[in-house]
Amino acid sequence: MAVAQWVKTLTFYEILVGMKATITVLIQRIILRNRKAITLQYPHEKRELPGTYRGMIALLRYDDGTDKCVGCDLCESACPSRVITVISSEVEGEPMKRYAKEYYMDMTRCLFCGLCVQACPVDALAMTTEYEWAKYNKRDLRLNKEQLLALGDRNFPVREKKLEFQHPNVAYFNIGHKNLPPKES
Amino acid sequence: MEMLVFAGAAVVKIAVVMGVVLLTVAFLTLAERKVLSWMQDRMGPMEVGPYGTLQPIADGIKLFFKEDIIPAGANRFLFSLAPILSLVPAFIGFAVVPYGPNREIELFGVTIKPFIITDINIGILYILAFVSIGAYGVILGGWASNNKYSLLGGLRSAAQVISYELNIGLAIIGVLILSGSLSMVTIAEKQAGSILNWNIIGMGHGGGIWWWFPVTQIVAFVVYIISAVAETNRLPFDLPEAESELVAGWMTEYSGMRFAFFFMAEYANMILVSCIASVLFLGGYHAPYPGTLLPDNLSWIEGVAWFTVKVYAFLFLFFWLRATLPRLRYDQLMRFGWKVMLPLALGNIVITSIVVYFLRD
Repeated sequence: MAVAQWVKTLTFYEILVGMKATITVLIQRIILRNRKAITLQYPHEKRELPGTYRGMIALLRYDDGTDKCVGCDLCESACPSRVITVISSEVEGEPMKRYAKEYYMDMTRCLFCGLCVQACPVDALAMTTEYEWAKYNKRDLRLNKEQLLALGDRNFPVREKKLEFQHPNVAYFNIGHKNLPPKES
Repeated sequence: MEMLVFAGAAVVKIAVVMGVVLLTVAFLTLAERKVLSWMQDRMGPMEVGPYGTLQPIADGIKLFFKEDIIPAGANRFLFSLAPILSLVPAFIGFAVVPYGPNREIELFGVTIKPFIITDINIGILYILAFVSIGAYGVILGGWASNNKYSLLGGLRSAAQVISYELNIGLAIIGVLILSGSLSMVTIAEKQAGSILNWNIIGMGHGGGIWWWFPVTQIVAFVVYIISAVAETNRLPFDLPEAESELVAGWMTEYSGMRFAFFFMAEYANMILVSCIASVLFLGGYHAPYPGTLLPDNLSWIEGVAWFTVKVYAFLFLFFWLRATLPRLRYDQLMRFGWKVMLPLALGNIVITSIVVYFLRD
């Protein structure tokens, strides 16, 4: 036993085993060509993202073009990094309806946890699969309402009907939306 | 007129060798990244040129145009001198390496040896002497940066280089005893014949089959290779630099072209130790089979080709080791150098000299 150990030490057996492993990979890559690199050439090829990917956050519209957002500030209070600023206002002539007059998201601070999306009672927020948002000026990442709506339009071309047309029996503020019956379409 | 022809031929030879070496240095950086990536399931540089083949040019242009920073409080003179001190000794050793057969041609009545820049009778000593100066570049660069971590990195590197230089010097003594000469050209010529006569096997020194085993320089060869890897600060022994742990040791404060000089020195040193290894142990320009395949007036092509193959095999070994082995700890490095490599090299000298003493009778 001790002799075998000495022979292994003297012939650098363990190092040779390791070198065999590395050269095997090289031969498989270059000569046999039955092994592929696990890396992707990023700007040229991109990974296929799962549908649940948490990318940039977008504001959504209904199919008639009106904002889904009702300016309730729940997303703002749900956000752990204080990304969201909502300035909500009354709809002219309709005292019971509110909307977000201004809506800002400072994406430099966003940690893409998705709590705002969960908090939204009217499904006005969604996470897109966009991630290539490198900017030269960090102030460009403070998105206003138009930019967030544009993100939503770009990524979700199929818009939902207004809530009252989807489910005639539920109110505008659908707090129990997770227990809804399945949608018609 | 004769002086002019002689000087012109020397300049041409130097220009060709330097051009080839610089080109090899440039493309070694690419080759290293490619080989490492192939061994690690990656792709390596792919953007510049087809399959990234022009990457060294892009790197060179980038380093050349980078801002040249000299830290506040640095010793400006030594800070500028250190990269040159490291680069010049790395290149100067190529002067005595025989790249091909030791043949002579007549040019305007002057005898010129086209494949050897110069044949000094102490060639290997000359290389060792100049390579030692490279350690000054390292330690001066670390000191002149006015940064304690650079200084510590420089000291570590100098300690390592000096320790393993000793082993290199002792490992090649066996070869020198067998060849009876310090000239690189003579050492290469003594190994003519076939693979059996190379110093790594060592059957070309008479005494028949029973004497080859004690004369074989395989132990010295292994000691030399390990020490050469350590001497050039390559990966299993790259503690001074330790890219993944430290901030490049003594090169911390260097940027731009000065950093490129250190980088080129490292790769030129790699080529130089590969050249020495192939001349001293693997028969230099001799083919592993007896004689040459090509006719006599073209046999130099074969010689140069075999020399190139050997050198590049060594360079590949450097990459291969880098892809395989993890870094040693510093105390392991020193213990290995002084307690394992040094006794092995000394024992090799003793055995070789005893055997050669009896063989010479």
